[in-house]
Amino acid sequence: MELPLTELKNGETGVIISTDPSSEGKQMCKHRARKGRKKHFTTELCIKRLTDLGLTPGTEITVVKSAPFNGPLEVCVRGSRLAIGRGMASRILVEAER
Amino acid sequence: MSNNHFTIALAGNANVGKSVIFNQLTGLHQHIGNWPGKTVEKAEGTLHFKGHTIDIIDLPGIYSLSTFSMEELVSREYIVTEKPDLVINVVDASLLERNLFFTLQLLELETPMIVALNQIDMAKKKGILIDYKKAENILGIPIVPTVAVSGKGIYEMLETAIEVIEKKRKTEPLKPLYGKEIEERIEKLVKLLNKTQLRYPARWAAIKLLDEDKEVEKEVLEVSPKIVAVAEKLRAELEEIHGHSCPTVVTSERYQVASRISKEIQEITAPLKTPMREKLHTATTHKIFGYPIMLAAILTVFVAIFSFGDFTSTFLGDLFLGLKPAFDSVLGTGIVGELVWGGAIEGVVGGITVALPYILPFYFILYLFEDSGYLSRIAFLMDNLMHKMGLHGKAFIPVMLSFGCNVPGCLGCRIMETPRERLLTAFVVTLVPCAATSVIILGLVGTYVGIQWALALYIINLIIIFVLGRIAFKALPGEPTELIMEMSDYRMPHIKTVAKQTWFRLREFIVMAFPLIIAGSFVIKIAEVANLLDPIANIISPVTVTWLGLPAVTGIALIFGVLRKELTLIMLATLFATTNFALVMTPVQMIVFTLVVMLYIPCVATIGALVKEFGWKKALLITVFEIVFALLVGGIAFRLLAL
Repeated sequence: MELPLTELKNGETGVIISTDPSSEGKQMCKHRARKGRKKHFTTELCIKRLTDLGLTPGTEITVVKSAPFNGPLEVCVRGSRLAIGRGMASRILVEAER
Repeated sequence: MSNNHFTIALAGNANVGKSVIFNQLTGLHQHIGNWPGKTVEKAEGTLHFKGHTIDIIDLPGIYSLSTFSMEELVSREYIVTEKPDLVINVVDASLLERNLFFTLQLLELETPMIVALNQIDMAKKKGILIDYKKAENILGIPIVPTVAVSGKGIYEMLETAIEVIEKKRKTEPLKPLYGKEIEERIEKLVKLLNKTQLRYPARWAAIKLLDEDKEVEKEVLEVSPKIVAVAEKLRAELEEIHGHSCPTVVTSERYQVASRISKEIQEITAPLKTPMREKLHTATTHKIFGYPIMLAAILTVFVAIFSFGDFTSTFLGDLFLGLKPAFDSVLGTGIVGELVWGGAIEGVVGGITVALPYILPFYFILYLFEDSGYLSRIAFLMDNLMHKMGLHGKAFIPVMLSFGCNVPGCLGCRIMETPRERLLTAFVVTLVPCAATSVIILGLVGTYVGIQWALALYIINLIIIFVLGRIAFKALPGEPTELIMEMSDYRMPHIKTVAKQTWFRLREFIVMAFPLIIAGSFVIKIAEVANLLDPIANIISPVTVTWLGLPAVTGIALIFGVLRKELTLIMLATLFATTNFALVMTPVQMIVFTLVVMLYIPCVATIGALVKEFGWKKALLITVFEIVFALLVGGIAFRLLAL
């Protein structure tokens, strides 16, 4: 089942499908190229950082827990422990076995 | 470069023990400054080893060589432009895959390098065994296992480094290969790039063009716009094939290489029982217990620092005051003597009685927290609250610092990723009541009006911070970045490294704040000697007396407060010739006065810090805004409370 990372329960593992909300498939890429990218500069930076930290498509990701009051998620990726803000986490699409 | 003078750069992820290795190598021969024109710290040191003089540069801890942060840019600029004789890539043995991802990028940069495989003891505890020889074979460069905290392997690491620099040891660095589709396109770009004169290795530049790297693209555009156009076309093709953005595809494939290598060279057997550090992590990030633990930790620190600071500060102050008679006998009690004593000496004393008792332990504990890994847990817990101001969890760290002193708070804003967030955080930080402001709140309102009023003032201040922070967040153009942060494993702090960081920070504080405090003391002393204070108080009396409803002399106290905020209280006592403020001020006046002191201006040292980090314009803007705002709030409070 395809769902955002924030939908995973504590302890659940999923496989990352995409970290880039604006490019779901090939059409979106062209669309993105046309639209110009200045506007989403910060978001792009965040996506870049996520992938640099190992959150690339096809990677297993485990949600350890989330901080209360809609706080960030604690996740485990490639053996390292990361905190990811909820807004960013909701943009990460994962495939979960349900 | 002479034959025995080398430059070695240390590069690697954050939290891999790089700074510990740096300290082991350079001892006291260090210089910490900034990279030119950047607010990124630059640590340099010198080392003598077997007749060689070696300059060591500690590059910032980063995860990639892209353009996410100034740290990444600075690091790769350094490697490309300065061309160190060797890069020692410090790698965390217990987090091989992600660390290798960075190693691969260094290899792509074609810089001569070796790997220090650090924290192998920790890796062993985690059940990770690494086949170094195999790793050497695959990567084609020497790999030295080290345990930085105990100094194990450091000597061998240096020996190996020298061998490689002097070419006594052959290396055949691995060229990381991507998938067929990417390799074909890299090749096309390399062919084009080979015809140009770039300062980067052609293959690296080609990869970076596919990686949509803005900086590289800019430079290539200058020499050949055609190549950039070709790269764009190739990127579109790759996006078509893979269905993801091109940078993601490149990164993804590089990670695949890292993953493959790490699988080949390491063997993992998970330990059976949960180690202590994991339990500690679970407790300190717990959704309920995490908060009381955090509160207890912070309160303990502040209470400890304040009681220690109060005691030491009084002791030091008395000690210096005891010198006054001796001083008077030398310079006399005339104008010159008064100027020198009141200006210079009292300025220095004031600085010392703040820096040593408060700032020193403050920094020490901060770095203890940081080195142990606790700060990132605090950021994790506070992310949501800071989000309301458009900031993320990390911003809580400078805010927390500011309750001690605004100066480290302002400097601490460097941990934020974008300039916008740095400025926003700094603005919030200067509104936080520091230790000196707390002295006024508790000493004046707390003692003479009632502790509930003192508490109310704190709450009002927090509300103001929150509201202004939110307004500033909305007003400042740009989007917020979100929290993306590693929470590395808890570990015993390395005291020597912590002590050294404390010392450098303290020195930075002294160098910046002392001249300002002394100069300020001088100016005010001259005004006092020239009998200018009363006229000045009269000039600003429309504000102090009419608008704020305060006694006229408070104007003088407020002027002194610019130097250090606790001076306002000391000056009040001097001006009124009593410490029983209940006799000379009404409760309303005390509350209004304290409210103004709390908000009215960052002290001179904080302004200095703002100038250093953000330039004159922004520092002035923040200062003027806060003066106007404080007077506004003070006047409104006066009228409300008078009802």
